[in-house]
Amino acid sequence: MLPPTARVIQDVSHLRSRLVPSIPRFQLAARLSTSSNKSATALERQGHSSQPLTASGKIRREMPLLSQEKKEGAMQYVLTTLDQVANWARQSSLWPMTFGLACCAVEMMHLSTPRYDQDRLGIIFRASPRQSDVMIVAGTLTNKMAPALRQVYDQMPDPRWVVSMGSCANGGGYYHYSYSVVRGCDRIVPVDVYVPGCPPTSEALMYGIFQLQKKMRHTRITRMWYRR
Amino acid sequence: MSTIVRTLRNLRKIGIKDYGHQMQYIGDTKAGTLIGVDRYGNKYFENLEELPLRTRWVDYKEKEYDPSQIEPGWHAWISYMVDQPPTADKILQTGVRTWELPEHRPTLTLSRAAFKTYSTVKPKYSAWEPVAAPRN
Repeated sequence: MLPPTARVIQDVSHLRSRLVPSIPRFQLAARLSTSSNKSATALERQGHSSQPLTASGKIRREMPLLSQEKKEGAMQYVLTTLDQVANWARQSSLWPMTFGLACCAVEMMHLSTPRYDQDRLGIIFRASPRQSDVMIVAGTLTNKMAPALRQVYDQMPDPRWVVSMGSCANGGGYYHYSYSVVRGCDRIVPVDVYVPGCPPTSEALMYGIFQLQKKMRHTRITRMWYRR
Repeated sequence: MSTIVRTLRNLRKIGIKDYGHQMQYIGDTKAGTLIGVDRYGNKYFENLEELPLRTRWVDYKEKEYDPSQIEPGWHAWISYMVDQPPTADKILQTGVRTWELPEHRPTLTLSRAAFKTYSTVKPKYSAWEPVAAPRN
């Protein structure tokens, strides 16, 4: 008796030779992709008492996510309003540090030109990291540039965000196997938004900035302080 | 071009309620004809007397609006890729093809349904229970 997967494969080859579409495609695909081994949880470690363990070896505890917590009490409502005011101020004056490294920088420049007009969103490119709060890493980050990138990031005042633009900054992209390129700028700085594309269009970068603004809108600044 | 005269003229056409709504969403006062409503619930307007590239606009359904909530056909229309709206264009009709999703799904980034990478291959290594032989 063959295992079920092998039987399905036999069925498929049988069907192909006869060219009879009696079984719909999606059924075959569904049966072929059925696997008993869920690999995302396959590496989850099991304790001696068969309790699931975390990666650091502690017993796993289920906690509600921040987005699942409800507002309770007058103080929470006051702090939520405070957060909304602060977040509104933050999201409507994003001053990015331009870290143009390659061709993505050209698309980033197009964002500032009249067609996409970043000034209407309150985005003004700053040349100094001390005056900026977003860093747009646009282009291939080489090993030689990486210390400079980290230094510029460290010079930015809090709160600060990083937008990784283009596949080179996301994960090395075309130069992933090069000896001199960092495989993603998230190895150097923490990244908030990844914009895919090679290079991403200006619309894509603008969409990434909208996502960053959305992230800012949902930041719990004073609520997190009150929670502690 | 936003002048006081234009704002007042459009305000007279759309009324005070829509004026407040538009200032919350698009930050401008516009009056136009309703072209259609997509499956997601967004409303699309057109007024050809506006300046070029400002003649078509969307009134989002949700307060937390996002360009990905615009359906593909309407996206083509609002980006001036096509002349006819999807309600008038036969090729852009939705709900015709068998492989279509029944509803429109926006980008789920930053929500709990966001995409997470996962591995489909068998893990190459696994943990083991170390067994120490007792010493004599």
